[in-house]
Amino acid sequence: QMIFNADEAHNIVKECIESVLGKADYNHNKVNQWTAAIVEQSLTHLVKLGKTYKYIVTCAVMQRSGAGLHTASSCFWDTTTDASCTVRWENRTMNCIVNVFAVAIIL
Amino acid sequence: GCKFDAGQVQQVLEGALASTLGTMVYSPQGSAPLAQSLAELLRSQAKEVVPPRYKLVCHVLLGQQGQQSLLVASRALWDPESDSFASATFSNTSLFAVATVHGVYFE
Repeated sequence: QMIFNADEAHNIVKECIESVLGKADYNHNKVNQWTAAIVEQSLTHLVKLGKTYKYIVTCAVMQRSGAGLHTASSCFWDTTTDASCTVRWENRTMNCIVNVFAVAIIL
Repeated sequence: GCKFDAGQVQQVLEGALASTLGTMVYSPQGSAPLAQSLAELLRSQAKEVVPPRYKLVCHVLLGQQGQQSLLVASRALWDPESDSFASATFSNTSLFAVATVHGVYFE
């Protein structure tokens, strides 16, 4: 199947973030394992969808301190088959932004 | 060469970030469009040094320099023989930026 379902990916990623960060408070010592877990779990679930895509997943976790943060992306690809989705999540002490980029493999 | 040269792309990213952001000051209204135009600029500059047949995903995080901590992680499901990525960071007293370019080969 060659269609990337952004809503489906959005839900998958949101659940992964919830399960890793859930009710945790920002902890500098744990951020490394958290971001690693979020990207790995997201990627694993995306692959299970069984679509012929290469995936790139990025995750940024930032401590909430009032500072502003912006994220943007620009892609050179095939707009008919490739797509992306962004999931923003936050709790009391941190912000998390996950991007999923799906690049079609032509078989 | 016909492969994604991560070192070369990183240099391009570093140069572009430094020359564009230089002594810029963070502003909430200006930073959102700045992040977008940066992503587009970096994507087009990276395209010039990357061999043909590569799709590119360029991602930029632009934030206010404060007391907070930020960690960015990414994972990809791809072909490690041909696909790769490069990233660069920039900071001054007012803002910081993290840029990543992933290159995915397509047949």
